[in-house]
Amino acid sequence: MGFIMDGLDAEEYDRQYSDRELVRRILGYFRPEGRRMLLVACALLFTSLLNTGLPIFISQSIDRVAADPSQRNLILALLGTVLLGAFAWVFNALRQWQSATAIGNVTLRLREDAMDAVLRRDLSFYDSIPSGKIVSRVNSDTQAFSAVVTLTTDLMSQFLLVVLLIGYLFTVSPRLTLILLLLAPVIIATALGFRHIARKTITQSRRVQAEVSAHIQETVSGIRIAKTFRQEGSIYQEFLGVNRRSYRINLISGYTFSSIFPLLGLLAGLGTTALVYFGVLDAQAGEISAGTWFLFIQGMQMFWFPLTSIASFWSQFQLGLAAGERVFALIDDEPKVIQRDARILPGIAGEICFEGVDFRYTDKEQVLQDFSLTIQPGETLALVGHTGSGKSSIGKLIARFYEFQGGQIRIDGVDIRELDLHDYHTRLGLVTQTPFLFDGSVRDNIRYGRPDASDGDVERSARMVGHGDWLKALPEGLDTAVGERGSALSMGQRQLVSLARVLLQDPSIFILDEATASVDPLTETLIQEGLDLVLEQRTSIVIAHRLSTIRHADRIIALRNGEIIEEGNHETLLARDGHYAELYNTYFRHQSLEYIEAAGQLLNGVA
Amino acid sequence: MSRNKGEFTVADAYHYNHNGVRRWIFSHILRYRLLFLRSVLLFLIGWSAMAWVRVLIGDAAREITSPSGPDGLMLAALAVLVVSLIDSLAHLGGSLSIETMAQKLAHDSREELYVSLLGKSQTFHDRQRVGDVMARATDDVNQLDFMVHPGIFFIIEIVLGLGLPVVYIAFINPQLILVPLLFILVYIVTVRSYFRRLSPVIGAQRFAFGVMNAGLEETITGIEVVKGSARESFERRKFMRNAKAVRDYLVEQGTIEARYLPYLFYGFALGLSFLHTMILFGEGRLDIGGVVAVTGLVSAMRFPVFISVFAFTLVQLGIAGGERILELIRASADMDENVGGHNDHVQGDLLFENVSFGYDDGMVLQDVSFHVRPGETVAIVGQTGSGKSTLTDLINRTYDVTSGRILIDGVDIRDWQLDAVRSQISRIEQDVFLFSRSVADNIAFGMPGASHERIVEVAREAQAHEFVESFAQGYETEIGERGVMLSGGQRQRLALARAFLSDPRILILDDSTSAIDSATEDDIQHAINRARQGRTTLLITHRLSQIRWADHILVLDEGRLVASGSHEELLRDSELYRRIFARYDVALPLAEPTPQDQGER
Repeated sequence: MGFIMDGLDAEEYDRQYSDRELVRRILGYFRPEGRRMLLVACALLFTSLLNTGLPIFISQSIDRVAADPSQRNLILALLGTVLLGAFAWVFNALRQWQSATAIGNVTLRLREDAMDAVLRRDLSFYDSIPSGKIVSRVNSDTQAFSAVVTLTTDLMSQFLLVVLLIGYLFTVSPRLTLILLLLAPVIIATALGFRHIARKTITQSRRVQAEVSAHIQETVSGIRIAKTFRQEGSIYQEFLGVNRRSYRINLISGYTFSSIFPLLGLLAGLGTTALVYFGVLDAQAGEISAGTWFLFIQGMQMFWFPLTSIASFWSQFQLGLAAGERVFALIDDEPKVIQRDARILPGIAGEICFEGVDFRYTDKEQVLQDFSLTIQPGETLALVGHTGSGKSSIGKLIARFYEFQGGQIRIDGVDIRELDLHDYHTRLGLVTQTPFLFDGSVRDNIRYGRPDASDGDVERSARMVGHGDWLKALPEGLDTAVGERGSALSMGQRQLVSLARVLLQDPSIFILDEATASVDPLTETLIQEGLDLVLEQRTSIVIAHRLSTIRHADRIIALRNGEIIEEGNHETLLARDGHYAELYNTYFRHQSLEYIEAAGQLLNGVA
Repeated sequence: MSRNKGEFTVADAYHYNHNGVRRWIFSHILRYRLLFLRSVLLFLIGWSAMAWVRVLIGDAAREITSPSGPDGLMLAALAVLVVSLIDSLAHLGGSLSIETMAQKLAHDSREELYVSLLGKSQTFHDRQRVGDVMARATDDVNQLDFMVHPGIFFIIEIVLGLGLPVVYIAFINPQLILVPLLFILVYIVTVRSYFRRLSPVIGAQRFAFGVMNAGLEETITGIEVVKGSARESFERRKFMRNAKAVRDYLVEQGTIEARYLPYLFYGFALGLSFLHTMILFGEGRLDIGGVVAVTGLVSAMRFPVFISVFAFTLVQLGIAGGERILELIRASADMDENVGGHNDHVQGDLLFENVSFGYDDGMVLQDVSFHVRPGETVAIVGQTGSGKSTLTDLINRTYDVTSGRILIDGVDIRDWQLDAVRSQISRIEQDVFLFSRSVADNIAFGMPGASHERIVEVAREAQAHEFVESFAQGYETEIGERGVMLSGGQRQRLALARAFLSDPRILILDDSTSAIDSATEDDIQHAINRARQGRTTLLITHRLSQIRWADHILVLDEGRLVASGSHEELLRDSELYRRIFARYDVALPLAEPTPQDQGER
């Protein structure tokens, strides 16, 4: 009954294709499967022919045997029915098998192209679309698309069967065929009418399902609070209400679906009655034989089921095409970061130069305007500023994650747009604000940036960070599984793993967006020790949130609205009592020992 | 029948059989046996009518060879109409009945699961992933629903749709049931082997699709690292490997489905039974009406053969879903409410005596002993995984100790009434959980019906009043997806307000909230400070200031208490502790606090 469950997940379309373009693209994917699809088409035609032939043959056999019950005619009747049935089965099996293979291959190719397209994209794409939606385009839309191809071949065989049968019946008795055809619009209209009602009830039942899910999710997530405050009873009362509502709505929706087939069956009953009456009259008049009359009765049974599915086919088909369209839109969208050349620098010293750079993420807000900055090789540069000052953007531009609109960024004097991006990225070390780990072991994650590193190398880097003191807290050392996105490790441990990863990779340029999540003081100490090591021998750009980092930076840049307001080291800037001093008082003061000591007076004062 | 014991129970709950999934599902169906019987009866009538229509069509055929006048034909056609009507109506009635039962079963099993979840201990909930529990309460419950309707409905149709035509054929001519009966036997054998081959492939294919999805989601979420490390080709290979596996299972599934043998044998049966009727017809032992009726009846058997593909899959899925639900329901509840236990006002004296705690796969805490006097503040320090949270979890009996004991006011906590302990101990989590309700409802969660004045008062104490007032709807602002998103610091202060309202004697605060800015830090400092007044307070904290000024500091390392005492004592005694402050002490001369900064304090 899947045909009723459609048409609800409308999504944004990136672009629209003309029908011709769409068909051309789809055929393009099927071209490598050409021979296979030809086989499918032939098998489909034969299956329908044989399936139409079977009831015709039976009806003729009845007449033949009635006239002459000889052994020859009997054996012919047996052989005919068995062979027709067997060949129909064989051709149908052939069709299903070949089309499953073809569709499997096409889907795989489509997914491959979609995946390549996703990986080509720059980060502006990932910023604007949630990960779930991208995954659903690559995996589910391709699946929906292929499901429609399967559906189409299935329906074509049914449709062909109905057409062939009607065609034959029409040559035998136009009058009785008309009775049969009169019913068709009624059946189709009923099926469509039901779809309309069903769509409404389904929307409601999805909504209530979401409500049930939300309630249970909240209960399970908040169970500790409920237990602590002994509020299980009140939550339970709420659940009873939600559950009862879900029952009522699902019952209505269930009733709708349960009544479709009995009702359509009733229509078929009406048709059968008419055929029985008028058919027998015709047969009595000698216009048709008894066998032919029986063929009409059987035809009625074969007729109404395909009709109901054909009635619902169109919207299903459109949905599949829409899914295809979404996938193509994903494939066709061009990345915004474009490299003009693929120069490979033999070694990167790490001099970074911004010259008159203009940058904005979207058309709305200018982030950087005519921005110039030179970072010396080996320098540790700390960027500080309020949210939206442009400090993170500078790091992301150096990583070439976004395209900038004006000016130039040079790495060791070479325009960043002329670099081979893959090669450049291997020289770049990166730690994001929430360090991201891949499902696997700690070891795998440390090795991520340098896949060819030996176990010994991995272990050495791990030991260098915080003197390796963090490793003993891992239940299985370097082989500890980090879980989905590193969930098995604490935030602090994830930072430590990321630092070890960068140490192993030994990049020429290191970009760190410091975590703001707080970490227990012991781990914090280890992270800072590790960080000292990473910052030591390379050009480092730190979007700073830690007091100890800005204190140890060679140079601090205080940013406001994409402009450099002040630069210098911690002491000189603080003494200047300008923007930096304000930033310090806002974001860093509470991290100082003075504050910690002063907090004691505060406590004692209140007590 | 088994009775659930747990931290939460419903007085007059219906009891289901929990010994095995089939019995459990059966006990659910048994609850609505009348509904079930009614639908079976209606289907019986429906299918009888359907078969009868074929016989009536046979009767009509006789009118061709030996007409009984215009009335005879009219009567025959009318009979077809009436019996068709009975068929449709009975089917409709049967469908509605079984649909009702399906929905009731879904409703009941979800409620049963829900109650059992409320009754489970925290140990249980910690081990269970939220997503997994959700899947069981929604998807698996839906599978149960589909199993009954259309699953069991289809099974009834198969049994009746194959059986009743045979019965009707027997009435026409007993000899003719030979071929249909043989077919039913072959059908049972081939359908079974078909599903035995198909189900593992479908399972494997679903799993492969899940792997592909999870893998891609991971790549996309970590795209910055992927691109920053130039590992696109690695991620691409990983995806293609997964996608290829999905494709292979899909093709395999298609290949198995293409070879659905029951159809082939049905074709044979149709031919053979047709031959049989024709032989009897030729010998004059069957008239044209009989031929038409029998052929019509055998043709009717095609539908049950067709729906078998769906029926058995649905039932299989339903049983698998039921199994997953029952597994949760049956998982032991670990604790009960201990209604008859000790009940008194807690003073706040807390004593750990050689406490150890662990799971099967290792100890989390080992031999921990310490004593906290009423009103003292204790800071607990240690790396992640050192056992800090677990230690505090033992105090309100979120878990029970494995060995040793914990005494509150000199009484072992296991002898306290569960309600008495939990209601006087408040715990504020690292990830503060707030319900999707209004701010006021969240603050009053533990005390529904608290006055607005009281709510505002505790919010003020927790330094939450100011930011709550800044929302357009103030205390009526909805929290969560439909309302405002709060920062970690704001959530923590709401949780503090929630705790203040219930005025616990012992407060456990897992404080790892980071303050982005110094002003927020000031607020948090004030709120926590207020919280520790007049009650025993345990702070798991990342704040050096809290550690620095606590009455008592516990340093944990790998589940052991490695040092304890005041700040000065620890600086002297603990290497671990000294290392934290060493960094600050070295840095101390560099840090020049601005004069106005000091003045503010």
